[in-house]
Amino acid sequence: MTANDQWRPRLAARARLKFDPIAKQEMLLFPEAALALNETGAAILRACDGMRTTAEIAEELSRNYDRADRDVLTREVVEFLSTIRARGLLE
Amino acid sequence: MSSAPRPYTLVAELTYRCPLRCVYCSNPVDFHRSRDELSTAEWRRVFSEASELGVMQLHLSGGEPVLRDDLVELISHARARDLYTNLITGGTLLDEDKLRRYRDAGLDHIQLSIQGATQENAETVAGVRSHQEKLEAARLIGKLEFPLTLNVVIHRMNIAEVPELIALALELGANRLELANTQFYAWAAENRRALMPTREQYDRAEQIAREAIDKYRGQLEIAFVQNDYLSGEPKPCMGGWGRSYICINPTGEVMPCHAASVIPGLSFDSVRDRALADIWRDSPAMNAFRGDEWMIEPCRSCPRKEIDFGGCRCQAFMLAGNAAEADPICRLSPHHEIVESMRESGADAPLIYRDVKTSRELSKPA
Repeated sequence: MTANDQWRPRLAARARLKFDPIAKQEMLLFPEAALALNETGAAILRACDGMRTTAEIAEELSRNYDRADRDVLTREVVEFLSTIRARGLLE
Repeated sequence: MSSAPRPYTLVAELTYRCPLRCVYCSNPVDFHRSRDELSTAEWRRVFSEASELGVMQLHLSGGEPVLRDDLVELISHARARDLYTNLITGGTLLDEDKLRRYRDAGLDHIQLSIQGATQENAETVAGVRSHQEKLEAARLIGKLEFPLTLNVVIHRMNIAEVPELIALALELGANRLELANTQFYAWAAENRRALMPTREQYDRAEQIAREAIDKYRGQLEIAFVQNDYLSGEPKPCMGGWGRSYICINPTGEVMPCHAASVIPGLSFDSVRDRALADIWRDSPAMNAFRGDEWMIEPCRSCPRKEIDFGGCRCQAFMLAGNAAEADPICRLSPHHEIVESMRESGADAPLIYRDVKTSRELSKPA
C-alpha cells in the first residue's frame, strides 16, 4: 500500500492521541496497545485531520521545523504515515 | 531506580455475573463467593487513581459488564480521566439505546466475544441461546460506527471454523479479530480434555491464521494467541508479573492478572482498604514475582528471562506445584514431561458449564 497524492489522512476511529504526563510525550492509543511518538511523529499525526494532503502536511512541518529539503521531508512523512496506515490506524 | 514500574493497563472486572455459561470462562471457579461488588463511587475513585498512576488503557470486563446499571457513568468517568476505554462484552444484552448511551459517554472501543461460526457449535460452548443475539449486537455496533474487535476463544470444537470466523469478522466489519486459543486456567482447566485440539487441528489453524494475517493486513488485524500446550514456547505472561498490568476483581482485590488467585499463599489487598498506588508499589502479592530475584534455575541464568519472564506463574503452580518454577511449558523445565501427558484431546469428555450452582459445587471445601 502506498500513499498517493490525493490521500488526506485522518486517524481511524479506534485510534486516539493522548499526551502522557508521566513520560511527557504524545502517545497514539488503540486497542490493546500504544505507540510512543517523538515530537515530529506527534506533529504529523496531529495534522492528519482528513482535510490536508500528505504534501500539505509535509509543507506545514517544513515550516515549523525549519527543514529546507522538502522532498526528503515529504518522503519521510509519507513513509511514516504509510507505516501507521498499515497498522489500520489511519484512513 | 528501585521504584515500581509504571502500569499501562487496568482490567476492571466489574462483575462476575453473566448470562452466559461458557465452558472456558476465565473467572475463578469459586466466583460465586465474590458478590459484594465495588460501588459506583469506589470504581470512580479507582479509575482516577489508575489514571494518576500512569494507566492508559482501561478494559471494562466481567462477567458481563453490561449488567452493571452504572456502566454509562463509569464509562463517562473513565473518559473524563482520559483513559482509552474498551468494553469487553458477550453482547447478548446490548441494544441500540444502550450502545448510543455508551457512545455518548465516550466509549472508545468494543470487544465482542462469539463462541463459533455456527449457532449449534457456539451455543454448545456458551451453554445458552446466544449466537443470533451476538450477531445482531455486532451489526448494531457497526451501525453506530464503534471500532470492533471480535474475540473468539479457540478450542477443539471450533478450531476447524477458523476460515469461517475470519470471513465472519470481515462481514461484520470488525477491525480486529482475536483467535485466542484457550488458556487453560479456571473453567478451561476443568474442561481441558474437552477443549484441547489435536496437534493436526492446531497446526492447520495456525497456518491458516498466519496466511490471513498477511492477506488482510491494513484491513483486518488478526491476532493468533497461542495454545501453550501445543506451541511449546512459554509466553511472556502479562508482560511480566506486576510490570504493566493491574487486574481488579469485582470485590476490589488488586491482582497482577485475573488468574492469580489460584496461587496459594498470596493475599490480595483491596482498593477498599488502601490507595491503588500503594497497593501497586508495595503489596506483597504484587511484589511476589516482580523482577527476577524470585527465579530459580533454569530461569535464573537463562538469557531469555527478560523476554519471557519464566512464562506464567499460575501455570508453574498448576503444573509443577510451585509458582517460582519455570513454566513447565518451557522445554528446559524439569517438569516439562507433564505437558506431554496433558495434550490429550478428548472428544468424549463431558462439558462442565460455568454457573453459580456448579461454582458452589466445585468450590466446596474438600
